[in-house]
Amino acid sequence: MTSGTPAMLVMHSDLASALLRAAEKVYGPVEGLDVLSNEGLSREDLEQAIGRRVADWTNGGLVLTDFWGGSCHICGVAAARGHGDVVVVTGINLPVLLDYLHNRDAYGPLALAERLIRKGRDSIRLHHGQPA
Amino acid sequence: MSWVLARVDDRLIHGQVVVAWGRHLRPKRIWVADDAAAANAWERDLLATAAPEVDVRVVTVAEMAAVHAGEAAAPGAAFLIVRNLESARALVEAGAAIAAFNLGGLHYAPGKAKVNEYVYLDDADRAAARALIARGIALDVQDVPQARATPLAALDPASARA
Repeated sequence: MTSGTPAMLVMHSDLASALLRAAEKVYGPVEGLDVLSNEGLSREDLEQAIGRRVADWTNGGLVLTDFWGGSCHICGVAAARGHGDVVVVTGINLPVLLDYLHNRDAYGPLALAERLIRKGRDSIRLHHGQPA
Repeated sequence: MSWVLARVDDRLIHGQVVVAWGRHLRPKRIWVADDAAAANAWERDLLATAAPEVDVRVVTVAEMAAVHAGEAAAPGAAFLIVRNLESARALVEAGAAIAAFNLGGLHYAPGKAKVNEYVYLDDADRAAARALIARGIALDVQDVPQARATPLAALDPASARA
């Protein structure tokens, strides 16, 4: 178990577990990162499942979700209510997850979330093919 | 134009509503008719942030029934979302003229039996479904626009049995 800022991945279908598997191919074995799918869960059940994990974070943490407006985001926000040091971040991709893993021991929840948002934006780039 | 979708979904506003149905039908307004959500300012704000480019209005079932006909004549497309079949029945019995409900998500809870991957029903749900069907209201099971719409009675005959 890491001593850094804790986090959980909450995403649609198998995306969270697949993203974690992909991250482990690059980063190596990952400890202390929960994954949760919204598959088959009512809003109430998903919110409670996130809330149980958030309740264990004594110094806050990050709920990392796939897209804004989805049930993972909505339930993450609802579960974080009353926990001012729990931050919900949407739009998580592989570069963002890797940056989290590399920096979770160096930042608190809010500073780390802000860093991840910058990383996510920077990670989406365009590269034109060259003419023949 | 107004009403283009009346949906029963226990997640209320979420990805399938905003991304799938929203891209398909381009609503200007999403009305959430739910007594619990309407009574909670924080919940109303949360639902509004879930669909930032749409006018989200969270009202009670009774309030929805009162404005339903007027909204039908409003410009632009509108979605109506209720949390469960009982709310759908209450809305119709309060006077809302609704020809069909899309059943998009009634997830598992203790005591509910599986109809398909995203619809689980108990006896109270089935009683509400029967009351709606008896009024001639279609109940179509369909989570996203690209999926096939299937009448609830075809998947769960007990929902249509008198």
